[in-house]
Amino acid sequence: MSYRKLVLLLAFLLIVPIAIFLVYAFAQGWFFPALWPERWDSELFLRQLRDPQVRRGFEQSLVVATGVSGLALLLGYPAARVLELQQFRGRGLIYGLFFLPTVVPSVATGIGLNIVFLRLDLAGTLFGVMLVHLIPVLPYVVLTLGSSLAHYDRNYEHQAAVLGASPWLVFWRVSLPLLLPSLVVAGVLAFLISWSQYVLSLLIGGGKIITLPMLLFSAASGGNYSLIASLSLIFIAPLLLLLGLVARYLGSPATGATPRP
Amino acid sequence: MSYLQLDQLTKSYAQQTILQNINLNLNQGEFLALLGPSGSGKSTILKLLAGIEAADAGEMRLAERLLNPVPAHQREIVLLFQQPYLFPFLSVAENIGFGLKARKEPKKLIQQKVAELLELVELGGMQQRKPQQLSGGQQQRVALARALAVQPKVLLLDEPLSSLDPEIRVNLQGVIARLHRELHMTTIIVTHDLSEALALAQRTALLINGEIIADLNSIELFERPPNRAAAQFVGVGAIIVGHMQGPTFCSSLGQFNGNFAPNTRHVAIRPEHIQINDQPQPQTIAAQIIERRYLGERWEYRLQTNEQIVVARETVQAIREIGQTVYLHFPQQSIFALND
Amino acid sequence: MAKWRSWLGLAPASIIMLGLFGSSLGYGIAQSLGWLPFLDQRELSLAAYRNVLVGQQLGGQWWSALLFSLWVSCAATFGSACICLGLLSSIAERQQHYRGLSIVSNLHLAIPHSVWAMALLLMLSQSGILARIGFAVGWLDQPKDFPVLVRDRWGIGIILAYITKEVPFLLLIGLATLRQQGRAYLLVAQSLGANRWQRLRLVLWPLLAPSLISGSFLVFSFIFGAYEVPALVGVRYPEMLATMALELFLNPDLQARAEGMAVSMLMSLIILAVVGLAWRWREQR
Repeated sequence: MSYRKLVLLLAFLLIVPIAIFLVYAFAQGWFFPALWPERWDSELFLRQLRDPQVRRGFEQSLVVATGVSGLALLLGYPAARVLELQQFRGRGLIYGLFFLPTVVPSVATGIGLNIVFLRLDLAGTLFGVMLVHLIPVLPYVVLTLGSSLAHYDRNYEHQAAVLGASPWLVFWRVSLPLLLPSLVVAGVLAFLISWSQYVLSLLIGGGKIITLPMLLFSAASGGNYSLIASLSLIFIAPLLLLLGLVARYLGSPATGATPRP
Repeated sequence: MSYLQLDQLTKSYAQQTILQNINLNLNQGEFLALLGPSGSGKSTILKLLAGIEAADAGEMRLAERLLNPVPAHQREIVLLFQQPYLFPFLSVAENIGFGLKARKEPKKLIQQKVAELLELVELGGMQQRKPQQLSGGQQQRVALARALAVQPKVLLLDEPLSSLDPEIRVNLQGVIARLHRELHMTTIIVTHDLSEALALAQRTALLINGEIIADLNSIELFERPPNRAAAQFVGVGAIIVGHMQGPTFCSSLGQFNGNFAPNTRHVAIRPEHIQINDQPQPQTIAAQIIERRYLGERWEYRLQTNEQIVVARETVQAIREIGQTVYLHFPQQSIFALND
Repeated sequence: MAKWRSWLGLAPASIIMLGLFGSSLGYGIAQSLGWLPFLDQRELSLAAYRNVLVGQQLGGQWWSALLFSLWVSCAATFGSACICLGLLSSIAERQQHYRGLSIVSNLHLAIPHSVWAMALLLMLSQSGILARIGFAVGWLDQPKDFPVLVRDRWGIGIILAYITKEVPFLLLIGLATLRQQGRAYLLVAQSLGANRWQRLRLVLWPLLAPSLISGSFLVFSFIFGAYEVPALVGVRYPEMLATMALELFLNPDLQARAEGMAVSMLMSLIILAVVGLAWRWREQR
C-alpha cells in the first residue's frame, strides 16, 4: 500500500463511524433490511439535545473536563519542567510515580478510592470527580509535556535572562509563546481523557454526578440504536471541534501528543 | 571509452533545476573531487549515481552498461554518507559484513573479510563493539570498511569528513588516500572544502549552481583557475579587467605580455605571486593597505589601488602597517587569462 | 536554593498523585484483605482471595475470566502489531516525512473507546449496516444469518474494536522510530546491495522491534484491564476480569466488595508483572 493510500484509508475509517451515527440518528422508520432510510427526521436528535438529563450530563462533563485539564496543566507544567530539564536523585522514582497510574486500570484505582472518597465526603461531588480524574489525566499531561520539553531549547530562556528579563517576563514572553502549541495539545488531550472517562466517574460520582459516558452506557444497554447514535454524536462533537483546532500540531514530535493506547 | 560516464544529466525538484546537463567521464581507478558551495547540486550527482534518486534526463553508464534502469542495490556503486549510519542493532563486524550477508556469502569468508577490512581501517580487533561505543571518527571508518566490503566498482563519498573534528578529519583523509593508493577504486568525493579536494583527488570538478564550470587537474584548478567563477571560488589576488592590443593585455594595473587569446578581457594572479615593495619601482602600482590578517606562515593584506581592491600574501619579513602606502608588482609569468 | 526551588515545581503534582494513587492502592489492598470498617470487620484474612481463586462459586468464574482476558488481550495485541508492522513495511521505503500519517493516527487515538465500540456495534450487529448490505446483495435472508460479530462468546467484537483502535497507536510508536533515521538506514542497506526483502528483514524490522514490542506490552496491559469495551460489546459470559471486578464491587451484597477488590488487585498485579517484564527487557538492550 502506498503512503497516500494508507493516510486516506485511515482518514476514511475516521469518517465512517461519524457517518454511521449521523444516519442512525436522523433516520426515521429505518427497519431491517432496508438499506437506506425512508424518511429523515431530526426530531429524535433534537429531543436528545433538549432532554434535561442529557443537558445536565453535557454540562457536568464540560465542567469536570475543563476543570481537570486546567488543573492538570497548572500542576503538570512545573512538574514536567523539573522532571525533564533537571537532574536530581530520585528522578526515576518520581517518573515511576507518574508512569504507574497510566498502566494500572481505572477499575482498580476507582474501586480503591470509592471508600476513601465516601469517607471524605467527596463522593458525589463535582470536585471529587475532578480529583479522581486527575489520576489518569495528570500523569499523561506530565509525560506528554515532558516529551515536548525534550525538544525545547532552554537557551532561549537563558538568552532572555542575560538580556535582563526577570523570571516572570521570561516565562510570559519566552517560554509560554514557545511552548504554547505543546501546552494547548496537552490541554486538549487532558480534556479528552476526562471527557471519555466512565469507570472513575461512575465509582466516585455515585449516581449524583451524571456525565455523558454514563448516558451512553445506559443507552447501550437499552439497545435503541438511534438513541445510541444521537448520544454518540453529542459525545464526540466537542472532541472533534477541539481536535480540529489542534490537528496541525499533532504531526510533529515537538508539539505532538504522546501516544497512548 | 571512459569507465564511468555521465551524459547530459539533468535533475530538478519542484520546478527548481538542481543539475543542468552534467557531463563527466572517469577512468577506472581515478579519484575525482566534486567541489562546490552548498546547494550547488554536488550531492545530488552522487544520489543519482547511487540510484537513490532518478535523473530527469541524461544517461549514466558504468563500463558501457546503462545505469539508469538498474535499481540501487544492483548497481555495485556504494555511497558513503556524511553521517556513518551504522545499524545500531548490529555489532561492528555485522555492520561490515552486511553487504556480504545480503549477497549470501559463506560465514567463514565474511568473518575473514571483516577482519581484513578492520585492519585496513586501523580498527583491528573491534569486531564485537557496538556502534554506540565508537567515536565519530571510528564510526566513519567502520562505515568506510562496510562500503569497501562489497568491493564496489565505484565508491561515492558524500562529505564523509565534514562532521568530524579537524584533527580526526586530517587523519581520515590520510586513511582514504592510502586506501585509494592500495585498492585503486574509482572514487568520487563530494566536498565544499578546497583543501580536502587538493589533499585527496588528482582531479577536481567545480560545480556552481548545478553546472560544472571547471573540470581539470586539482593543482591546476588551484593555481590557474580557467574562468572568473572558478577564480572567485578558489580565491585569487586580483581579477584584472582590460583588453588585448596585439599580443599585449592592457589594463589600469599594467600591461602584460603572455600567450593570451585575442579576445581576453580578464586576467588574474594568485595572491602569493604579487610582490610588495616599499619604494616605487618600474612597473609598480601604488596601493594603500586597508586590512591585514595573519595566516600563520604568511601575512595577508587587502590593498586599495586607484582602481580596485587587491589581495596579496607575503611570507613574514617586515610587518606592514595599515594605512601604509606600498608599491605592487605583478610578475608577467604569474598572470593567467580567464575565460568569461 | 536552586534545589529547593526545583522541588517546589515538582511537589504539588507529586503529592496529589501520591495521595490519590497511594490511598487507592492502600485501601484496595486493605479491603481485599477483608478490612471493611463499615461492616465492623477489621480482621485481615485472605478469604476473599481464596474465594476468588479456588472458591466454589467464584473460582470457576475467575479462571474463565482470566483465560478470556488473556485470549482477548493476546489476540488483539498480536493482531494490531502484525497489521502495524505490515503497514509500516509497505510505506517505510519511500517516505521521508510522516506528518499526514501521524496527524490521522493521532485523530484516531482521540476517538473514545466507548464511542468506537458503539460504531462497531451499529456496523456489525445482526441488524447493523453490514447485515443490511449483505441482505441487499442477497447473501443472507434474515438477520440471524449474519455471523455474530459483536456481543459474541468469542469476544470477536471486543477484539475487532481493540485492533482497529490500537493499530494507529502502534503506528505512531513505530513512526517515532522511523522518523529519526529510518530512511537513511534503508538507503545505506540498499546501496550496500540489499534487496527489498532483505532490507525489511535485516534493517527495518530490527530497527522497529524495540519500540513496537514495548508498545505491544502497553497495548496488552491496557486491554487486559480496560472496562469500557467489554462492557459495551461483550457478553455476560464469558466476561473479562475488569467487568467481573466491577460487577462484584457494585453488588448489593457488601461481602462481595472484598472479592471485587481481590479480583482487581490480582488483575493489576498481572499487569504490573507484564509491564515490569517489558521494562527489564528494554533495559537489557
